[in-house]
Amino acid sequence: MTSLETPDTETVTGTWRRLRGLARGAGVVPALTALRTAVCPEALPCGPAGHALVPEDIAETFDHGWADGSGAPRAADREDRLTEIAVSGGVLVALRRRDEAPVDVHRAPVRAWTLGLAWVRLGLSEQMLDTCMTYLRGRVTGAGTLLNQQMVKGSLAEVAIEHLEIETMMDGALPGDLDIAATVHLHAQITRADRMLLRLLGAYGFLADGPGQVAWVSELLADVYVGPPAEGGPR
Amino acid sequence: MIELDDRTRAIQRRAREWARELKPLALELDGDPDAIYRHLDVAIVSYLTRMPVPPRHNPDPVVIDGHRFYGTGTLERVVFAEEVAVGDAGMLLAAPGPVMSGVLVDSLGDERQKEWFYSRILQRPTWTFFALTEPARGSDAGAMETTLAPDGDGYVLNGRKRYIGNAARADIGVVFARTRPGPLGVTAVLAETSDPGFTAEPLETIGLRGLRITNVTLDRVRISAGNVLGQHLRPTQRGMWSAVQGLNRLRPGVAAFGLGIARSAYEYVRENRPGLPLRDRERLDDLGRRITGVRQLIWRAALAVDAARPSAGYEASAAKAKASRLAEDATMEALGFFGAGARLEHPLLDKLARDARAVEFMEGTGNIQKLNLFTGLLQGRLHRG
Ligand SMILES: Cc1cc2nc3c(=O)[nH]c(=O)nc-3n(C[C@H](O)[C@H](O)[C@H](O)COP(=O)(O)OP(=O)(O)OC[C@H]3O[C@@H](n4cnc5c(N)ncnc54)[C@H](O)[C@@H]3O)c2cc1C
Repeated sequence: MTSLETPDTETVTGTWRRLRGLARGAGVVPALTALRTAVCPEALPCGPAGHALVPEDIAETFDHGWADGSGAPRAADREDRLTEIAVSGGVLVALRRRDEAPVDVHRAPVRAWTLGLAWVRLGLSEQMLDTCMTYLRGRVTGAGTLLNQQMVKGSLAEVAIEHLEIETMMDGALPGDLDIAATVHLHAQITRADRMLLRLLGAYGFLADGPGQVAWVSELLADVYVGPPAEGGPR
Repeated sequence: MIELDDRTRAIQRRAREWARELKPLALELDGDPDAIYRHLDVAIVSYLTRMPVPPRHNPDPVVIDGHRFYGTGTLERVVFAEEVAVGDAGMLLAAPGPVMSGVLVDSLGDERQKEWFYSRILQRPTWTFFALTEPARGSDAGAMETTLAPDGDGYVLNGRKRYIGNAARADIGVVFARTRPGPLGVTAVLAETSDPGFTAEPLETIGLRGLRITNVTLDRVRISAGNVLGQHLRPTQRGMWSAVQGLNRLRPGVAAFGLGIARSAYEYVRENRPGLPLRDRERLDDLGRRITGVRQLIWRAALAVDAARPSAGYEASAAKAKASRLAEDATMEALGFFGAGARLEHPLLDKLARDARAVEFMEGTGNIQKLNLFTGLLQGRLHRG
């Protein structure tokens, strides 16, 4: 994966596309690993309040983590391991770094991470859409499949519209091109699309693994790195 | 606006007091569904264990402020369910008791079956289950494939059920199966989980983990002729019709615990974010108004069920569709008041957001409720003033 330290549109676009494809095809662990390599090769990426949610090996590799200005050394006595989540393809670890100055959300690598994360989350949402279409095609009702019910078609079309808009907004964007509020908005939009898909997946999407977990992990990533959607904008 | 009478207010007050006991246990049950076995003596759990059991079979009702409660009225049940779900919806659903099968036995059982069922319930805390959904038949449960075939002097059940709450803990429950093709070919039977051929395996879920939904396999489970429900009724009143009637009666209750989840999130913000700036306070107040509106809709549906109004099922669909969306929206919005890392720093809110996702599916999805409501609208049977 190419580094985004000296970005030009073509490199960045190619990187985003690969991240999104990885998320859609291989899942969250390889996609986050590739995102970290691309935007923060030296440190553990942390959210504005000092949390991290990353694949296990990333959590264990780095002796520095993002803080106020740049990287600050990690110390075991100032870090809490909050939870581990076994997902398809590996384990994600949630951490909290205590007593660090808040991460400066205006810094370039942080903005690259939150934008790249939106691409990863879009890829995960597209994976859910694929799963959902397969699920609905396989469910019989009356004379046809659930995929052929008009209400279902309408909901799937709504998801596709969201995906198209999100993609168009982000296409060609370099880190910093979209202001922070716009990035937060995009993340919220992805969450809403995922929720529509979850409703279409029936109780299957409520099981602890599979698409129901993909959606929850994707929401957790947004929560940690951009904060949950609040009308007041980023906090 | 609908106002509660003194009797219903009494149970509301008591449920609110009791529900406070549940909050500290909510995350424990989420982490370990077996925690329910350690909390059977919690007041609310022991109340649920005996509700609903109709007066004829319950010599010892719960008395609150001089009023007797059997848990059979829909309005009292929704008021109660909202309060308990504010404490913890997981515990509400994990508790032993007749719950859904009780409603079916009440409407379909003959005297002997009722006696048998309710005496088991009143003997000791007994979990029950209600098995309608199948792996290939969810919303379209009427097309179920599980069969009930004559076998000697009784019957034999074969098939699979999925997402069945509490079946791995239950002793008894109701299973729906097909005796012949078509909607009139569906029959409900009482089944015992200890019978050979009955297995229930828990499924891990993203939320409402206390409920422990399961996969049920029915491999030549013998059902005695006396355990077939509704034989004394007309054929049209037995199978799917009874399931639909039962679900109509229960649906306002599902709506109420969606409402309770929403209110729990709303109250969490009020308690943990005092001194919000004006704009945020207005946003929170607006959420409060949405909660009030949906509560009225649920009470309206409950009153319609209690009055056996022909529109009851449609009104219940309206309440359930609205409440499931409210639960999702309120829990997501509540997280928005706490900034980055909210789900990790406020695990109870994360749990509420996970639990809220289930309300959409229980007793029929939003689309199914809307389609049902539309039928009422089209046929002029939706009661509108
Ligand atoms: C926590 C939990 C507890 C449960 N407990 C029980 C229980 O105790 N007993 C029991 O029997 N079941 C139980 N269920 C199952 C529940 O009743 C089903 O999940 C529900 O009926 C939906 O079925 P499904 O999940 O198969 O979704 P599907 O039927 O596969 O639906 C998938 C999507 O298609 C849509 N859809 C389906 N048909 C149509 C149509 N005709 N037109 C338009 N859209 C349509 C749905 O709205 C949904 O969005 C439980 C489920 C959950 C999540």
